[in-house]
Amino acid sequence: MKTCIACGMPMKKESDFAMGDTSKEYCVYCAKEDGSMQSFEEKKQSLINFTIKTQGLEETVAEKAVEAMMRQLPAWKTRF
Amino acid sequence: MKTKRQIQKEATRKLILDAAYQVYANEGFSATTNQIAKAANVSHGTIFVHFPTVDNLIICLLERFGSEINEHLHLLSEKDESLETFLAAHINVLICYEDFYKRLISEINSLPQEAKYVFINIQSVVSLHLNQVIERDKEQKVVKEIPMHIIFNSWLGLIHYYLTNNYLFAAGSVLTDHKDELILNYIKLIRK
Repeated sequence: MKTCIACGMPMKKESDFAMGDTSKEYCVYCAKEDGSMQSFEEKKQSLINFTIKTQGLEETVAEKAVEAMMRQLPAWKTRF
Repeated sequence: MKTKRQIQKEATRKLILDAAYQVYANEGFSATTNQIAKAANVSHGTIFVHFPTVDNLIICLLERFGSEINEHLHLLSEKDESLETFLAAHINVLICYEDFYKRLISEINSLPQEAKYVFINIQSVVSLHLNQVIERDKEQKVVKEIPMHIIFNSWLGLIHYYLTNNYLFAAGSVLTDHKDELILNYIKLIRK
């Protein structure tokens, strides 16, 4: 099973892939409206916002956790 | 194409992580690397060839654990699943890792900072799935007006309370014994 290079989500169904295209390496949540992959800053901010919204974390903690996660992902290796 | 040496190296690394998982599940995170080496049937020094520090071993183990939970939960989750189905899937995944997870939530505050971030990211996968289900239920106006993080933290708080106080509620697996009751009553709390 493929894993999204930008957020780590497993992609098993067509609907998991950006634009439903199973040849893509990133998922539906990491794609912009035109189908291209979100930038590092866009992805980082959306993950921080999501973590705060769904887990209620303090902003600095959310940012550190998101950075720790992004550091492991192939799409962002060069950013750390 | 991997060389024989690379394959052997990966196999030993996996062996150490498997042993660490079992030892930490049984003994807690204060267990020594000697205990892990013994369980893996490797020399003590071999552990540090693969993991330079104990912290690094714990972080790598948690990352692997997180990936497994992530994959497992994703396979059990369906696009249009109900809240009941998702909560059952979450508990079913945790039942597979119950002893280790119990240790993890009991001892998380004493683990290295980096491990705490990995733990947050493990929970992010759960919150992603729960958020999808709740957003849909909110559109259908069947869920009370409660902020998403309170909905998520209440669910986690409930199951973590039962897990960390297992001895109060069950002789064996507390999640197996109380799964239906927890799901049913949690839903009553948040549904209109």
